[in-house]
Amino acid sequence: MIKLENLTKSYPSKMGPQYIFRNLNFNFPTENNVAILGKNGAGKSTLFRMLAKSEYPDRGRVLTNKAMSWPVALQTGIHPQMTGRENTRFIGRINNVTSIAEYEEKVQAFAELDKRFDLPVKNYSSGMRAKLVFACCMNVGFDIYLIDEATSVGDPLFRKKARLSLKEKSEEAGVIMVSHELDQIREFCTSAVIIDDGKLHYYEDLEEGIDVYTQDADNKKSLK
Amino acid sequence: MVTFKAQLYAWRSVIFALFLRELQSKFNDKFGLGWAFLEPFVFIFALSFFRSILSPGDVHSVPLFIFMMIGLMGLQSLTTCLQSVSTSIKRNKPLYAFRQVQPISAILTAGFLEFSIKVIVVALLALALYLIGEGFAIHDPLLLISLFALLWIFSISLGLIFAIAAAFVPEVDKIKSMLTRPLMFISCVFFSLQDFPEKFWPYLTWNPLVHFNELARYACFESYGDKGVSMAFIVEVTIATVFLSLAMYHITWKRVLSR
Repeated sequence: MIKLENLTKSYPSKMGPQYIFRNLNFNFPTENNVAILGKNGAGKSTLFRMLAKSEYPDRGRVLTNKAMSWPVALQTGIHPQMTGRENTRFIGRINNVTSIAEYEEKVQAFAELDKRFDLPVKNYSSGMRAKLVFACCMNVGFDIYLIDEATSVGDPLFRKKARLSLKEKSEEAGVIMVSHELDQIREFCTSAVIIDDGKLHYYEDLEEGIDVYTQDADNKKSLK
Repeated sequence: MVTFKAQLYAWRSVIFALFLRELQSKFNDKFGLGWAFLEPFVFIFALSFFRSILSPGDVHSVPLFIFMMIGLMGLQSLTTCLQSVSTSIKRNKPLYAFRQVQPISAILTAGFLEFSIKVIVVALLALALYLIGEGFAIHDPLLLISLFALLWIFSISLGLIFAIAAAFVPEVDKIKSMLTRPLMFISCVFFSLQDFPEKFWPYLTWNPLVHFNELARYACFESYGDKGVSMAFIVEVTIATVFLSLAMYHITWKRVLSR
């Protein structure tokens, strides 16, 4: 469970601060694998980054006693000039893994990069990058994995592997995911949180959430 | 509850990782790390050397070669540190996604890296002086070392102030380069403060770098004198800058993250 207490978040702009959340109180469930759904600009990524504590709210707190991963997106923390191995070692170091050599080996095996692991990341395709980041994340023991469309560029085989390893971990770990591709969300998640107008709604059944989400979009379209 | 010791340990491992990353990414061309030492060394050595050929002799009892070297070292320490530290917050932006990486770690890493490079440059310069037979005995090594340390604390704090300001107002970067350019001429790098009439001193001595340079020369040669400059001013300015920069950082760092 992640508790959001009195959360207020705004971004400065030319027209004054743009509020995304105002005094939001919510208990974010983490027992299941949760998908965050919402329109563009509704605040999915903002909420996501605040959960990961890579950004902080203006007021209020995010309380949890779980070990959360960093928000795994395509580019996070990967330096294009450095090799895959150097990047892996960096991530291992700042996350205090017990043995960097072992971690390196596991990531190399999981990411299926073979010899290209020692090439600079700038020579990687976007799929290879996603694999590297995902492998780095999965091999650190977190309670909750935050995944932001990183799996969408991987090939089907890799996606299957990712799903299997997440399932393996789902005994003790949860996943929170942001994606626009519904079939991907169906692949990984079992429940949904919908962001609408600065408010959060939890749907324990993913299909119910997706229904509300897509109907909402249809309704708004027909109103136009 | 996370103990203080665990916090320090986490900090250390983040700064160490950032340090290695900075080394790997900054110097992965053909010249490698050597360029970092060689470039300031050649710059300082060549400029001092040619100046001493043009007008041989002493400046108030300090050999011109060494006089120039001390001034340029002070100037280079301040400007390169300022440049590197003040851009470090922006440079490491993608890394703040990891919540253990905070802007202050980037600042400290950049400052420490520049500091290590300059220490090696100083060692190279000392070696070069010894090899060409210009060696001399430092009159007050402790004063010299504390000046060097204070100069670095001052430069890193100044860099932090500029880095925070640039996060909110990007134009600060342009103003910064305009501000640092005249430093070469007003910081007593080429001339001694003693060369100016005493009534113009107030226009120069507001600049802490003047005090750093003049006192460093005094620390090397007692006969040079320390008229018009004071250690107290240096300490005061450094404490004020450190306090201001840390206070600014404390109230803004969460907002800096979302920019």
